[in-house]
Amino acid sequence: MTQKMMTATVCRYNPKTDKKPHLEEYSVTVNPGARVLDFLHRVHDTIDPTLSYRYCCAAGQCGSCGVKVNGEPVLACMAEAEDGMVIEPLNLPIVQDLTTDLALYLDVMASPKTSGDCVVPDAETTEKIKELRTCIECLACVSECPAILVADFAGPTAMRQEMRIALDPRDTTNRIPDDVAAGLFTCTSCQRCLDVCPKNIAMPGKAIEKLRELADRQGLTLKTHQNVAALVQATGRSVTHPDRKSFMESVPEVIEPEGEVKATGGFFTGCMYDFRLPDTALDMIEVMKRNGIRVIVPQDQVCCGSPLIRTGQTSCLPALKEQNIRVFADAGVDFVFTMCAGCGSTLKNDYDTPFEVLDINEVLERYGYEEPAKLDVTATYHDPCHLLRGQGISEEPRKHLRSVVKELIEMPNLCCGAGGGVKSGLPDEAAALGALRDIEIKKTGADIVVSSCPFCEFHIASATDVPVKNITTMLLEGYRKKDQIQ
Amino acid sequence: MAEGGYNAVMNSQDCTEDHFTDTMRGGAFLNNPNLVRVLVDEAPERFKDLISWGAVFDTAETSECLVAQRPFGGQCFSRTCYAGDRTGHEMMATLVEKVRALDILQIQDRTAIDLLLDGDRVCGIITLDREGNLGVIRADAVVLASGGGTQVFDISTNCAAATGDGHVMAWHAGAELIDMEMVQFHPTGAITPKDTRGRLITEAVRGEGGVLKNTSGERFMDRYDPVRKELSTRDVVARSIQTEILNGNGTENGGVHLDVSHLPDEVIEKRLPIMLEQFLIYGVDIRKEPMEVAPTAHHIMGGLAISSQGATTLPGLFACGEITGGVHGANRLGGNSLADTQVFGKRAGESAGKTQEIPVKNRLDPKDQVKKTQKRLAAYLAGDTSPSEYKQLIKDVMWEKCGVFRNGADLREALTLLTDLQQCRPHALTPANLAECCSAENMRRLAWMMVLSALTRPESRGAHVRTDISQDWTAESSPYGHTHILGEECRIEAVTNAEKRS
Repeated sequence: MTQKMMTATVCRYNPKTDKKPHLEEYSVTVNPGARVLDFLHRVHDTIDPTLSYRYCCAAGQCGSCGVKVNGEPVLACMAEAEDGMVIEPLNLPIVQDLTTDLALYLDVMASPKTSGDCVVPDAETTEKIKELRTCIECLACVSECPAILVADFAGPTAMRQEMRIALDPRDTTNRIPDDVAAGLFTCTSCQRCLDVCPKNIAMPGKAIEKLRELADRQGLTLKTHQNVAALVQATGRSVTHPDRKSFMESVPEVIEPEGEVKATGGFFTGCMYDFRLPDTALDMIEVMKRNGIRVIVPQDQVCCGSPLIRTGQTSCLPALKEQNIRVFADAGVDFVFTMCAGCGSTLKNDYDTPFEVLDINEVLERYGYEEPAKLDVTATYHDPCHLLRGQGISEEPRKHLRSVVKELIEMPNLCCGAGGGVKSGLPDEAAALGALRDIEIKKTGADIVVSSCPFCEFHIASATDVPVKNITTMLLEGYRKKDQIQ
Repeated sequence: MAEGGYNAVMNSQDCTEDHFTDTMRGGAFLNNPNLVRVLVDEAPERFKDLISWGAVFDTAETSECLVAQRPFGGQCFSRTCYAGDRTGHEMMATLVEKVRALDILQIQDRTAIDLLLDGDRVCGIITLDREGNLGVIRADAVVLASGGGTQVFDISTNCAAATGDGHVMAWHAGAELIDMEMVQFHPTGAITPKDTRGRLITEAVRGEGGVLKNTSGERFMDRYDPVRKELSTRDVVARSIQTEILNGNGTENGGVHLDVSHLPDEVIEKRLPIMLEQFLIYGVDIRKEPMEVAPTAHHIMGGLAISSQGATTLPGLFACGEITGGVHGANRLGGNSLADTQVFGKRAGESAGKTQEIPVKNRLDPKDQVKKTQKRLAAYLAGDTSPSEYKQLIKDVMWEKCGVFRNGADLREALTLLTDLQQCRPHALTPANLAECCSAENMRRLAWMMVLSALTRPESRGAHVRTDISQDWTAESSPYGHTHILGEECRIEAVTNAEKRS
């Protein structure tokens, strides 16, 4: 067990003397298996005792030592220290160095108003509350929440606490109107909070969407969301029919590939590609034809229900699920695929399907595809939240994109603002997040921005003057160029 | 953070008399019986308070009280209520919710460093803020609830704040402490990676059926306590593990195996989620392989002498929880400390609230005491030893000389080392480091109390084992009572046979 030398960069900032935070490099010896906190202790003990950071239990249970390591929020006592890491404070007001002001968000957390009687909740309720009860108030979720950046939002863990109270039979007060006022509808359901939560608390799914369901029962759902629900109820689709032919009206039910059939996929179009961006879906069909995938498009498919789940309007959900599962189960396909990140995430996480569901990027990865010609453009890639976090897909689209562009220039990942009903319900917030995307896109200097989600593509296109394209459109352009050369 | 549970008599098949007997027996009869009586009588009521405020404990619909209870060491009934293996967290969350709901002024990020005294009456505290500025908070009464101090040992389960500051502040003010030699070594602390050594592996692991094995695969507790085995009292299990390690039956890393892999996965996932998560981070899946464990300093049974109302020996000063002595005797039962915090927390708080107000005209001018504190702090700014080195020295001395097994020679050596350390002064580079220096010196003083008391008790009892002393009495027939520390003096009570029977 020999000690080793480790070098890392630490953000230093004393608001009394420094104009802004700066980074400093430190080298210290650490034990094998040292945690980030142990590295900080070493710096504090052997180099600079003025380094300020919070810690207490050193066992991942008190939540005081949250910091960012290489941009990702972690508990310093649990994350393993690594050479070259950059340690910064969470995105909260800085007191000094890595010490942030936690009270700002913690003081406003709600408490149950109980009658004072000793009532033990039943087992089922207890289990539900427990899922929301393990929070250690480290505020990693607040640090990363995009809605907080641009809207009045109490934050993910505050909503977790609201749902914990709503579930508790010992508090019979109705807090839902206050929750709406505290920004219940500002959450874009990007799931970044769940991603960074050291206790894996599913705040969007188990707190925010559930609170929105309660709000729906009290008629507090936003008007635009109610309109979407009414539309789904009436038409089975969450957007209105376009003036032109929809995607499904433009293609036969079975689309044969050009060469040998590698597999048969049932295409779940999603409302957006069917009605709003049919050309993009048609591009994808061309790519499938060229790569041996027979595509079957069942005409009776309906909205997956995602816009309803995210906004808490779940009453007609069972009927949608039943119909979609039935039409695809009977379609004689090897798998069902979608190119909509939102539909994909919903079919994978909210449905119990008798068939396998794949995202288009997974189809390309699994069955392989003809190498396209390189286009003479540089691109940046926007990770759709429901693809990156909803489905854990980040490498495949980058690989596909690299095969067709000169260079892929990365930008920091952040929700574009299109999800969770925010684009329709709170367009100003969506626009503000879109504007933040525009800034990052411009910083990359890329010629185009590519994504793999109709909501992101549609929304980002409204927020930036850089051209926005779908990943399959890029592949198709690569093929066209290849054909021209030949 | 406390993980395992909260002991309370909640079922008609159980009774407080049994809880009392278990606690006294577990504590090697050094407990103050009056305090134990209060503990066992009021633990159920205080538990119900938590439930009525919104606490979420595991439930069992088959149980008469609807709350699930698990078996813990040294108890004749499964009376440990729990919230998975995060019971302490659940209680903290409930109490924090309660405090937030009430109109209570909270002052954060301040360190109490001295008690203010008017004669011998405690009337406030002197504090340091993050930047090292002094502050004074005047009060009619002060409640110390600063917890434990096993950070003075190199290997400890305790959080970074457990440096005994409250014990030492009260000692400086002239309060009396008892049984400071009684330190519980929790049988099962983690041993790897090195920097996380000592991390608590909750007793709930054994409560749920975990077994201890040496490197030969032998379930060695069969030899040490054939009836209670892994669920013997903590002092017995810790000594057994330590003996196995000392006899060469331990692992390369210096531990023994604690195994739950025979339990169904879902039991581990549901009842021990934190253990599962923590070990997974370090690459061990406890559903499939054993944990490596060794004893780790966990709890100080000794502390401020209190009345059943939570009053210390100083007027105006109250205390509750681990900082107090007498409730747990020479060895605490798992699950009794969480109950202790609630039972005596309420009592101490209520007593403090009933303290007679100090009229404005009689309020102390703290100038002189602040000056004294300033002088002490100024010395740190001119100190000569880094606080971390100073602290590590204490930790090493205590672990090596005042650990699971003790002897007079080691203890005397430790006393000399700790006394010599007084020649060094922790150095504060900036005023922001002053609080750290105060803690470092407090740790030295706390360690001194433990060692001096350990030398003063010429017997093995509960968690305190003197290998250099042979005795012909049992804990129950011991001629000794509490050790007492007051100022520089330490003495031990003699107990007559007549007293023992009463």
